[in-house]
Amino acid sequence: MHAGIKPLGGERWWLVVLLFPTMIGLLFGALGSVLATIVISLLNWDLITPPTWAGFANYTSLLSDTLFLRAMRITVLFSLAYVPGTIILSLLIALLLNRKLFGLSLFRTIYFLPTVSSAVAVGLVWSWIYGRERGLLNYLLSFVGIAPINWLGSQNALWSIVIVNIWGALGTGMVIFLAGLQAIPREYYEAGSLDGAVGWKAFRYITLPLITPSIFFQTIITTVHAFQAFEYVYVLTRTANGASNAPTLVYSIYRNGFNFFRMGTASAQAIVLALMILLLTLCYFWLERRLVVYD
Amino acid sequence: MTKPIPIVQTRSTSSIKANKLLGDIASYLLLLFGSLIMVGPFLWMISTSLKLPADQFSRSFIPDPITFSNYTRLWELLPFTRLIINSLTISVLSTVGQLLTCAMAGFCFAVIDFPYRRLLFLALLSTVMLPPQITLVPNFILFRWLGLIGTQVPLWLPAFWGGAFGTFLLRQYFLTIPFELAEAARIDGASLMAIFLRVYLPLAQPALAALAIFSFMGAWNDLLGPLIYLPTDLERTTLTVGLSLFQTQYSGRWTVMMAGALVSVLPVILLFLVAQRRFIEGIALSGVKR
Amino acid sequence: MRAPEELAVWNAIVEAFHAANPNIRVKVEVSDWDSYWDKLKTLYAGGTPPDVFAMDAPLYPDWQSRGVLLNMQPYIDATPGMFDDIYPNTLTAYKRDDGYYGLPRDFQTVVLYYNKDMFDEAQLPYPDESWTYEKLREVAKALTKDVDGDGIIDQFGFSPDLWDMETFWSSALWSHGAEVISEDYSKTLLGEPKAREVWRYIAAMVLEDKSVPTPAVSAEYGGDPFAAGRSAMAMSGHWVVPEYAQLDFAWDVAPMPSGPAGRFTSVNSAGFVIAKDSKNPDAAWEFVKFAVGKEGQQRLTELGFAIPVLKSIAESSTFLEQQSAPIKHQIFLDAMEYARPKPTFAGYEEWASIIGDGLVPVWNDEQDLDSTLDEIVPAADEVLAR
Repeated sequence: MHAGIKPLGGERWWLVVLLFPTMIGLLFGALGSVLATIVISLLNWDLITPPTWAGFANYTSLLSDTLFLRAMRITVLFSLAYVPGTIILSLLIALLLNRKLFGLSLFRTIYFLPTVSSAVAVGLVWSWIYGRERGLLNYLLSFVGIAPINWLGSQNALWSIVIVNIWGALGTGMVIFLAGLQAIPREYYEAGSLDGAVGWKAFRYITLPLITPSIFFQTIITTVHAFQAFEYVYVLTRTANGASNAPTLVYSIYRNGFNFFRMGTASAQAIVLALMILLLTLCYFWLERRLVVYD
Repeated sequence: MTKPIPIVQTRSTSSIKANKLLGDIASYLLLLFGSLIMVGPFLWMISTSLKLPADQFSRSFIPDPITFSNYTRLWELLPFTRLIINSLTISVLSTVGQLLTCAMAGFCFAVIDFPYRRLLFLALLSTVMLPPQITLVPNFILFRWLGLIGTQVPLWLPAFWGGAFGTFLLRQYFLTIPFELAEAARIDGASLMAIFLRVYLPLAQPALAALAIFSFMGAWNDLLGPLIYLPTDLERTTLTVGLSLFQTQYSGRWTVMMAGALVSVLPVILLFLVAQRRFIEGIALSGVKR
Repeated sequence: MRAPEELAVWNAIVEAFHAANPNIRVKVEVSDWDSYWDKLKTLYAGGTPPDVFAMDAPLYPDWQSRGVLLNMQPYIDATPGMFDDIYPNTLTAYKRDDGYYGLPRDFQTVVLYYNKDMFDEAQLPYPDESWTYEKLREVAKALTKDVDGDGIIDQFGFSPDLWDMETFWSSALWSHGAEVISEDYSKTLLGEPKAREVWRYIAAMVLEDKSVPTPAVSAEYGGDPFAAGRSAMAMSGHWVVPEYAQLDFAWDVAPMPSGPAGRFTSVNSAGFVIAKDSKNPDAAWEFVKFAVGKEGQQRLTELGFAIPVLKSIAESSTFLEQQSAPIKHQIFLDAMEYARPKPTFAGYEEWASIIGDGLVPVWNDEQDLDSTLDEIVPAADEVLAR
């Protein structure tokens, strides 16, 4: 790391004051939480009656818990569709906007609107758009001869929320890619065009390698988001008895912990979720060393 | 290089120009199509909210007649003013907490030389990867122990113990401020706090603004937090939860629901429109520089 | 249920209570039935439970078995004649071997609701006690139509809740000689041959006749197409009466149809319980006693959303002649004759979700009925085994 100012005498106390809140957060908010969650995952506790020791029962029972396995499968499928979908589409939009077109900032604002809007409010509109018989989407599709689809039913709910989540995430991705694209010096393209690198070739051999840091960053961020998907799931796929047509892991944690007050099960699932994210992040960093180009 | 080159070049420039024009047109069409998908739901929200309840299933885009009765109905059905005040209180307090603590820590990591600086920073940074769900249960138990369940405190207090993302964002920005400024101030005898308050904070306004919007938006749009900590009680909960309750209680009344949805997205959209430059810079900053 | 209106009634009850017991102060909080449970759990988990709170009979076993409710038996023993006027089958759900941990405050019987205007328009006679399930299906089909000819059905014949047993399918099962659950609550019987016949009957109405909207379509009408004026018949308890009283079409109620095994309906009660850790159990009991007593019941009945547990009030003009809703309230009392209690057992909430939510894809025509039942019945039994 770079140099810095050395605190003198009494200034050391100021340093402590400045860092204090963050250190509390690091100690209790992060480290403490992880430890506490691990401990709670070994207990049977409904928060109302005293906890009893469960050992690893909360983990072993997950293996035969059909609802948990379903949540796992849905979370993985969700990520497999959401992460590439968000990255490819937002990169495409950034590439289009990077052509220095007139009205760039207007487009940027428009593509960003869903990102800043509350998922609950926007989810309400989507539930209206996705309606089986009166919904806008099925109405529009009827013009091209597509029969009505039950978008939020058990068969399609997963893909319908993937669409909404991608729709909501394009703004951030676009801005990050746009910043990455604008950081590429023009001379690279000028030099490249002399060697015949235009169009697809320019993208493949100049643009793509140079924005690998942005792609890498985006992949991590969207993966973390994918594993945490909750809001649209809650608003769009909740069923009459409180389950969901596309229950993700976080939904399962919420339902176990705060509907049924099975804190042990909820914590065990949270630990599994954290481990999955950790594992994926390690994979990404391993890939980063092989694929990402830093200048 | 040989003689014919100039001719070839002129030809290729004109064809490049034609290509560029075609490409621009194609890009415009694609972007316009995309824009339609992006704003479509918002336009449909506005359109439905201005229709008479009897016309809610009409597919015409322009309401006929246009009515504002859904908005007045909204205030009759829900304590909307109360919900907005609750949401505002929590969002503002969260924003203040984040700005304060993240600026303090960000300054330390960017400017001050102290032992284990790198290690602590990496430890903090790694918590970005920590899913918030893992802190859910322990935090709940902590606040229960403090007797704060059912109050708004658990929703904003954590903002006062810093945050990896905000600290990272501000540290990155502080690093772009020439270090010579700090050194010069030091030579003039300025204390650490004076450097922080008089040199760094004023210069970091864009990054502070970006973080402010992030925090405000996050708190305003949060669903899981209020759902867990506040009894689903219309007097104490936030607009976001109120709206999701609305969904169960008044479902099927699409015109009123769309009016409610619009009222709840409007404040954040306005905030975004006013400060979008800074906001977008903030995101770009977090994503590109490392 | 509208919370502000309910709060006004409870405040009136509390005022009367204060007048009778000047040294006890009661603070009331009211929320709608759906969010009430979340709120209660949060208060409990937060360590600040209320002294007295409302209970739904099916959820009572869960709460009671956690040991968080007060046994009211000593108080009941000290109050002679306490149960004399109470409908006995509302009490059974709260009885445990060592006494009562809760008392019913009102109950709901399910009956058939019908839209008079739609029957008049189709020139069909209103439903009556001669109706069978076959007749219900036939008339529902006759009343289903696409008014504006756009290919979308605008008027359905019948719109029961399919996600919950209480309003329709438990009665239908019983009337055909099928059962919901074994007597000892250890086995779900919804996959038995007789039950499957009933499921096929429902599936035929939803998927062949299209006289019952699918859950996806029903959701577009706010989950209650009858109230939205899109359905000719529905089945429900008395709780919808205050809301329906404001509808702009004429409607009334009729007895449930009968099946090969007879006529059945479901009865369910809401009650009051006292927290075990209440700091003022005596005062809490006084309030419960007041609420299930004559004066409290009288007021509660005026609220109009339930049937009082006291026979004398239920059979009085307070219940039978409600100004706000001039319908045949007697039908609800008569239903007691052929009513069976909604099953109550530990794990009900999860069980109901596995069954109710699990069947929704069938009604939406996304999954096959038999294979779905083969999947959800064992899953429901797993919950019962816990």
